[in-house]
Amino acid sequence: MDHLDALENESIYIFREAQRKFKDLAMLWSIGKDSTTLLWLARKAFFGKVPFPLVHIDTGFKHPMMIEYRDRMAKEWEVDLIVARNEEAIRSGASPEKGRFACCNALKTQGLQQLLDRRGFKGIFLGIRRDEEGSRAKERIFSPRDKNFEWNYKDQPPELWDQFNTSFRPDTHVRIHPLLSWTELDIWEYIRREEIPVCSLYLSKDGKRYRSLGCVPCNFPLASGASTVDEIIEELKVTKTPERAGRAQDHEAAYMMQKLRSLGYP
Amino acid sequence: MSGQDTLRIVIAGHVDHGKSTLIGRLFYDTGSLPEERYREIERTCREQGRPFEFAYLMDALEEEREHNITIDTAQTFFKTSLRPYIIIDAPGHKEFLKNMITGAAAADAAILLVDGAEGVREQTRRHAYMLSLLGLRQVVVAVNKLDLVGFRRDRFEEVEEEIRGFLLSVGIVPAHVVPISAREGDNIATSSERTAWYSGLTLLGALDSFFPTRDIAGLPLRFPVQDIYVGDGKRVYAGRVESGSLRAGSRAVFSPSGKKAVVRSVEKWKQPALPEAHAGECVGVTFTEELFVERGEVLSEEGEAPLAVREISASLFWLGNEPLRLSSRYVLKLATSEVEAVLSAITERIDSSTLEVTERHANRVENLEVANVTFTLLHPIAADTFKENPRLGRFVVEVGEFVAGGGIVREVRSDRPGGATRVVRLTAMMNTEPDGNFIDLSREAGPVEFEVSPGFVARLGEGEKVAIRLCTADQLERISRLAFGYGLGMTFRRGSEGNRVVLFREGPVSQAATEEGFPVI
Repeated sequence: MDHLDALENESIYIFREAQRKFKDLAMLWSIGKDSTTLLWLARKAFFGKVPFPLVHIDTGFKHPMMIEYRDRMAKEWEVDLIVARNEEAIRSGASPEKGRFACCNALKTQGLQQLLDRRGFKGIFLGIRRDEEGSRAKERIFSPRDKNFEWNYKDQPPELWDQFNTSFRPDTHVRIHPLLSWTELDIWEYIRREEIPVCSLYLSKDGKRYRSLGCVPCNFPLASGASTVDEIIEELKVTKTPERAGRAQDHEAAYMMQKLRSLGYP
Repeated sequence: MSGQDTLRIVIAGHVDHGKSTLIGRLFYDTGSLPEERYREIERTCREQGRPFEFAYLMDALEEEREHNITIDTAQTFFKTSLRPYIIIDAPGHKEFLKNMITGAAAADAAILLVDGAEGVREQTRRHAYMLSLLGLRQVVVAVNKLDLVGFRRDRFEEVEEEIRGFLLSVGIVPAHVVPISAREGDNIATSSERTAWYSGLTLLGALDSFFPTRDIAGLPLRFPVQDIYVGDGKRVYAGRVESGSLRAGSRAVFSPSGKKAVVRSVEKWKQPALPEAHAGECVGVTFTEELFVERGEVLSEEGEAPLAVREISASLFWLGNEPLRLSSRYVLKLATSEVEAVLSAITERIDSSTLEVTERHANRVENLEVANVTFTLLHPIAADTFKENPRLGRFVVEVGEFVAGGGIVREVRSDRPGGATRVVRLTAMMNTEPDGNFIDLSREAGPVEFEVSPGFVARLGEGEKVAIRLCTADQLERISRLAFGYGLGMTFRRGSEGNRVVLFREGPVSQAATEEGFPVI
């Protein structure tokens, strides 16, 4: 079994375990390469029919090409798509100009929390990876959040032999991370092998491409000539630039990502 | 593409024996530490008037972590010319042992780090013991800080002998014992002239000699049912092949139910039906006949089936904040089975750092201790010993919501043979506890029968009550038949202290009334 097969099987096992243990599941689909790979794996795990809804937290700042791609794929793959927006914050004019931390927290984290409260989801699949950003590396595969959405990273229960912690108090929800062991390069090699369609913003245009997709005002394309998946893979093998270099919220202030994440940011 | 699959390693050892420095060194010597980061460490060390220290890479993050959890874990990936490596747990966590165990349980190999000046210490032994309990067999020992003892061969050999002796007592034979200085880079990537007396592999050479251990070849088939998907007019049994291979058309048997079946198809999404699936593969299986088996049943080939196990003796490590207590009830999870079990014996309680047996026939196991224990299961499950098949020979123990311990199965015993039914005599002479008459059946998972003496009924007639603590629903059924037959009242409560039935009798024998839904004769 090669490396990608091993990762694929690990993720499928996690999906099936979660589906068996939790009634009210949903999956966050940010439209990016990771959560689209996650969606592909969910289709594999459940023989083509994803048994839970997909949630896109729409901040109103997403690139039109992301929205077009989202709607096209949702239709083609026949998924149950929920688009969630923190309408109140959008109406009151939340924007990065008034502070990126507040904007991310209101439009993404609170947008997600409102949806969880409304729909009562008990488990949320997320496409985060250990290698992508500091605080994500310490995650467990099944990671509980309390009713205030907080993550107690200092005292996490052990997780061994694929025996996940799946019984939680009623006021908690659990984040489930089937891609934790994957690297950015694994994702692209898998996308190539499986021929998973990705949003074209990842491909170089006029010497620039997006390494990571986010909101238009806070996400910048990086200099790159990689216009095909093959070229992206070659680029990743030699680059020294971090994946999230173009994501402004990571660099706004020290530890901002970690603060956002301890409050419940994916 | 990399030539070989990623190897997952964990670094264990006593605090201050040089783990941070070693990680920094491994990144640097494999070209995995960005130049920018190297210069940053250099600058900081110069500013503080200290010699260059790789540990600073980790220490700096450590300080940051006092107030947050940022850690540059992209750095936990490094590469040799052979293959990529992942260091599963980076250092510096408060609950270090829990993380070490979480990491080691997923690792292919371990580096056990020992300070050459200090020698083997408490956590060296504890970690080594945990590695052994987790079944990790690919271990390299790195005897570090040899620069502090002048690269003396006799000192290295002293430490080597000490650690080899200890490892042997926990069943580990290290593949290599390498003399190193992580700080100065001796025998990490290249052989050091300062240890000319050493002709073995470098540390990276030793790591490159290990193998990924995901695949378990050569063992009998074990396919635990994970879930059942019904749709398109068929039932698909989803699961992962834990060992052996699963072939379409083969005759197979489920354990513990003993149901037999012929495999019709082995399926994956978007792929033509597979002739067979191998260890590690998640597949869906259909059978030629309609079957009804539950999650937790294990498919194997006829003649090679695991036992339907009623009792498990195990070596267990305990991480719970509350002690593990004799006669208490726990949930065990083994492969996809989940079973309630009573801790029926704590044969030996062991100090996990000295391996000393601190108590025999104990009542409790404390946090960080290891013990040899026996669990009586409330219903049978399919299990193997760890020696026969590690995938079905290990389990975790849940307390409340969380995993609080793990164990490896040393011995299994199947259902008691017929005739071993426990007979409980209910007589007028009962042990009287402060809160009344009390019979404890909470450790009797097997079949139970009751014999009732006339004196027993008479005593209840005098207004006494008897409480019975139960283990199985089967016992509840028998007691309710008994109550029905003898005209007794009963209450049943399932609470924090277990399942409890109280038997009583109200009024004289002739009174025709009902109590709690049961007729009183």
